[in-house]
Amino acid sequence: MTALASRCGPALAAFASICLAISGGAHAHSASDAYLTVTAERSASGAVRIHGQWDIALRDLDFVLKLDDDGDGRLTWGEVRGHQAAIEQYVYRYLKLDGGSGNRCSIQPARQMIDDHADGAYAALFFEAACPRAARKVTLRYSLFFDIDPSHRGIFVMHDQSAIATALLSPRNAQVDLAF
Amino acid sequence: MNCRDRSAWGAARLCARLTACACVGLTSLNSTSAADLAGPPAPFRTPYLPAADSEILQEVPSIADPAVADMRALRTAFNASPSSLTAAIHLADAYIDYGRQIGDAHYAGYAEAVIGPWARAPVPPAAALVTQATILQYRHQFNDARDLLQRSVQLNPRDAQAWLTLATLEMVQGNYEKVAQNCAKVASTADVETGLTCVAGLRSYTGRARESLAMLQQVATAAERGSPAYRAWVEGLTAESAERLGDWTLAETHYRSALKLLPHDNFLLVAYADYLLDRARPQEVLPLLAEHAQSDTAFLRLALAQEALHSDQVQRYVWIMAARFEALRLRGSEYFGREESRFALRLQHDPQTALDMGLRNWQMQREPWDARVVLEAALAAKRPQAAMPVLDFLQAARLEDPLIEPLVRELRAEIAASAGASR
Repeated sequence: MTALASRCGPALAAFASICLAISGGAHAHSASDAYLTVTAERSASGAVRIHGQWDIALRDLDFVLKLDDDGDGRLTWGEVRGHQAAIEQYVYRYLKLDGGSGNRCSIQPARQMIDDHADGAYAALFFEAACPRAARKVTLRYSLFFDIDPSHRGIFVMHDQSAIATALLSPRNAQVDLAF
Repeated sequence: MNCRDRSAWGAARLCARLTACACVGLTSLNSTSAADLAGPPAPFRTPYLPAADSEILQEVPSIADPAVADMRALRTAFNASPSSLTAAIHLADAYIDYGRQIGDAHYAGYAEAVIGPWARAPVPPAAALVTQATILQYRHQFNDARDLLQRSVQLNPRDAQAWLTLATLEMVQGNYEKVAQNCAKVASTADVETGLTCVAGLRSYTGRARESLAMLQQVATAAERGSPAYRAWVEGLTAESAERLGDWTLAETHYRSALKLLPHDNFLLVAYADYLLDRARPQEVLPLLAEHAQSDTAFLRLALAQEALHSDQVQRYVWIMAARFEALRLRGSEYFGREESRFALRLQHDPQTALDMGLRNWQMQREPWDARVVLEAALAAKRPQAAMPVLDFLQAARLEDPLIEPLVRELRAEIAASAGASR
């Protein structure tokens, strides 16, 4: 434990108004991460299909969409299920796939499940994406939560045949080119 | 597992090995890499559909918590006047305080989104710089935090909060002369009691814990007028100073008083859990932290308690802890050197790794626990010489600590013996 204090409250005019909390050497919980995993497939014509799984922490979704209907601090499957349409509508605004000029790939949300991670339960959103024309390169643009939490990171993993490649998506590194 | 960086991935910065991967649900990843994943299998299911609507999946902040209700109200006020600095600071501070209390770094991110635009303005308001610096300090970006705080006190030398935050930063990094200077500024810009408390913290790290206790006793009476957080600060410091002197009974009394004031404060809970682990009372750690397993620092103490109790749950705890550290690495964080070193030494039984992590952490943080992890790992790794920078620092600081002093003596004896043998 650190011996000194840190902040609590903007004004420090009088003793009684000071609000200090004991600080610590290490903070306690990792910040917000989401896991985006895709597998790419090419047809003989060169058309690209992408299968994706996007794991997003229920805690993060609750912060923006207020999933805890009864406000008891416990998210149930019923509450999550009741908000699946809102979740889908929200998150897919922040993911774009683009196969070049006039070749924006459409993302088709598929099912939603639950995935347990070491730091809690995540919504697992499955999707399919297809680009209208053949593309040698597809650009993925990611901006989930960046407007409300610039420390959010998208941990991106791509499986392409036997290879696995990863990228860390952040506000400064919000796009990645997938080469085929 | 293959992790190939491909030239076509120009924008991709990271190519990380995903062993002990935190993304446990990726069945395809597991199936291609099972041989690479050391240790027991993930104690989790693959993605699933819960059987019943009533199944509880996740705890989240409850609106019944007044702090959560306050944050929502402040958010509404901020959304209504996005150009108001006051609204931004109130909201950002509320996020920071709440995140610190429950041990959740998400809130530092929410605060940054609110205050960042102000802090990055061509002529930033001093108060916005202090709030932004607090966020950076929380993330252990100490140099950037220091820069912002120095700019802030140039703009407003009367800002006691800025001086106190600066003192905290220098304390964490072991720059004790600077702490003394900053505490003097705190005393002249805030009040005598806060200045005294600032100095008392310094004394407890520099071989004058008895003086520290006397000062805190003096402050405690006046602090009764202060907020619970202020009083908990004084109580927590008193507990820590008592520990420096090996007065375990006094330390416990004050940890308990502090926790009565702030029952859910992550830092206090973790400090008290460490106290209990050191006193060989691991069975008390489990109920203390049962509701705080989501905090990584609390989770480590739960794992250490399970280990001390020889529980059959240890492997599960170790797996989850490793996965959480791996998740941090994947996002490029290095916040947890102290915790990771303890984890490597005590739960992975890997003193070399523990020493490397402890020494790397020592470059950033120099509090007693940061020293202790290096000393313990250096002994276990039979590399006493590696602890020299820490031994020199402790000698100069004259830190008193009945748990650290024996480690110092043992290491010095080993260093002397090996020097004698090689002569």
